[in-house]
Amino acid sequence: MKILVCVSCVPDTTSKVSFTEDNKFNKENIQFIIGPYEDYALARAVELKEKNSEIDISIINVGLSENDPLLRKGLAIGADRAYRINSEPIDSNFVAHNIASFINKNNFDLILMGKESIDYNSGLVHYLSGSILNIQTFNPVTYLDLENDKSVIIKRETDSGIEKIKAKLPLILGCQEPIAEWKIPNMRGIMNARSKELSVIEPIEVKASLKLDKYTLPPEKEEIKYIDKDNLELLIDELKLKNL
Amino acid sequence: MSTLVFIEFNKNTISESSSQAATIANELQNEVYGLTSNDDESYISSLGSKGFDKIFIIDDFNNYSAIEELINNNGIKTILSPSSNTFKELSSKISTKLNFPIASNVLKIEKNGKISCSIFTGKAESHMINNNDSCIYLLNKNIVESQDFEKKADIIKVDSKVSENSSFEILEQKFIEEEISLNDADVVISAGRGLKGPENWQMIEDLAKKLNAATACSKPVSDAGWRPHHEHVGQTGLKISPKIYFAIGISGAIQHLAGVNSSKTIIVINNDPEAPFFKAADYGIVGDAFEVVPKIINSLG
Repeated sequence: MKILVCVSCVPDTTSKVSFTEDNKFNKENIQFIIGPYEDYALARAVELKEKNSEIDISIINVGLSENDPLLRKGLAIGADRAYRINSEPIDSNFVAHNIASFINKNNFDLILMGKESIDYNSGLVHYLSGSILNIQTFNPVTYLDLENDKSVIIKRETDSGIEKIKAKLPLILGCQEPIAEWKIPNMRGIMNARSKELSVIEPIEVKASLKLDKYTLPPEKEEIKYIDKDNLELLIDELKLKNL
Repeated sequence: MSTLVFIEFNKNTISESSSQAATIANELQNEVYGLTSNDDESYISSLGSKGFDKIFIIDDFNNYSAIEELINNNGIKTILSPSSNTFKELSSKISTKLNFPIASNVLKIEKNGKISCSIFTGKAESHMINNNDSCIYLLNKNIVESQDFEKKADIIKVDSKVSENSSFEILEQKFIEEEISLNDADVVISAGRGLKGPENWQMIEDLAKKLNAATACSKPVSDAGWRPHHEHVGQTGLKISPKIYFAIGISGAIQHLAGVNSSKTIIVINNDPEAPFFKAADYGIVGDAFEVVPKIINSLG
C-alpha cells in the first residue's frame, strides 16, 4: 500500500508575523516547522507502517529548498522518500493542482493532508485536490485505521457531530488530532534519513485566480479595561448594552 | 448576474452565518438567491425577510451535478457561503469544475473586486484583487450584522437526479447535543485549567445559560478529558469568532488565542494578573473565578 503525506512548512505557532516591503512574509528570525496537522497525519502513517511493513510512505511539500531540512525530519520520523515541488506555495489552487498532477503520475492508495495549513488557513487544498482528481475527500478526520488493502475505517467531524465511515480507497483525508500522537525522530531515524531519497520536481503552471494586493497587520487592540472584582457593574452594564 | 448564498440551518432556523451572507449579498447585488437542503417550505418562503428573492431547495448538497446546472442556468457568478466543511467541499468542486476563484476566511468584499481575508489565524490580513467575473467567498462569521429586508422569496424545487453509487458507507452517526452550537453562538463561555477539575463546570454552565451562550474549553482541559473534544477552541481545535468571548481560568497561550482572537469582545477572568490573556482582552477581571463567576451570575439576576 502506498501512502502520500502532503506537508506544509509553516512558521512556528508562536512566531511574530510581519511582512517585507515588497509584500512577502518576513522569514527573518522565524523558526519553520512541519504544520501541526500534517505532523499528525505523518505520525498516523508511520504508526500504520509499524503494524504493516509493506506500507510505503512518501511525503511531499510545495516549497523552496529552505524546506529540505524539514523534509529530512519527516524522513527521520519514518517516511520512506520525500518529494519537493520547487516553488513558493502561491495559493491553495496552485498547491492543489501541483499535488494533483503529482498524484496523477504516481498512484497512491491513501493521501493524507492536514485539516489546514496554519499560515494561510484556507483549509481547501484537500477538497480542491479531491475535486481535481475525482477522489473522495473527508475532512477533518480524527481516527483512521486500515480495514484491508482496499478500505479504511475513519471518523470525521461533521457540522453536527461525528460520523464513523467505512470507505473504499483511494481517499484523501484532512487529518486532525487525536488521529495520532506526534512523533519525535530518534537517532536511528535521523541517521537513516540521510540516505533516503529527496527528489525535486519542477512545478506545473497554474493561472493565479486572485491577485495579491498587499498584506497588512490587523489594527492594534484598544487598551484593556480592568474591572474591579468587587465592583462588577461596569461589566454587567456592558453585557446589558449588548442586549444580553 | 446574480448572487447565490448557501443556506445552513441551526436547529430549525437559518444560521446566523447564512443570514450575514445574505446581508452581504444584498450589498453587492440586488438579486439574491439561496440554496438549501431543508424542505420546510413554509419557513423557507419566509426568508425573503433575510434578503432572498429566490430560494432553491435541493435534496442534498452532495448532489453536485444538479447544483452545477443550477449555477449555469441562472447566471450565477458570485457565491457567498458560511465556512462549514460541507460548503467548503461543495465550493471546492465548483471552483475547480467551473473555474471560479475561491477566497477563504473572507473579512470584507468591495464592489470593485477587492477582497480582504484573515490569515495566520487572525494575526494578519491579505488583500486580494479579483479580476474575474466570478468568485466564491467563504465568509468569516460576524463580519457584518445581519439585516432584515422586505423581500418575498420564491421557492424553486430542484429536480435532483439519483446520486451516483457511493464509495463509502456511514457506519455510525453521533450528533452533538448541545443547546447552542459553538460555531453559531453570539456569546461563548470558555474555561481552562484554572477551574481545577471537571466537577467545577456547573457555574460555567449556569453563566452560559444566563447569557444564552455556548460553552468551550482550552486544549489541556479537553486533553485531560474534563470536557468533550468538540468544545476545544484554539489553534488545533475549533476557531470561533463570537460577539463576546469569556475566558475563565485560561492563561492565554498563543495557541489558544489563535482560535479566539477574532472574537469581537474578549473578557478575561484570571487570578494571575500576569496571565498573557490580559494582553489580548478588552475587559479584564483579576480575581478568583470561583468568587467572580457566581457574582456575575447573581448580578445578571
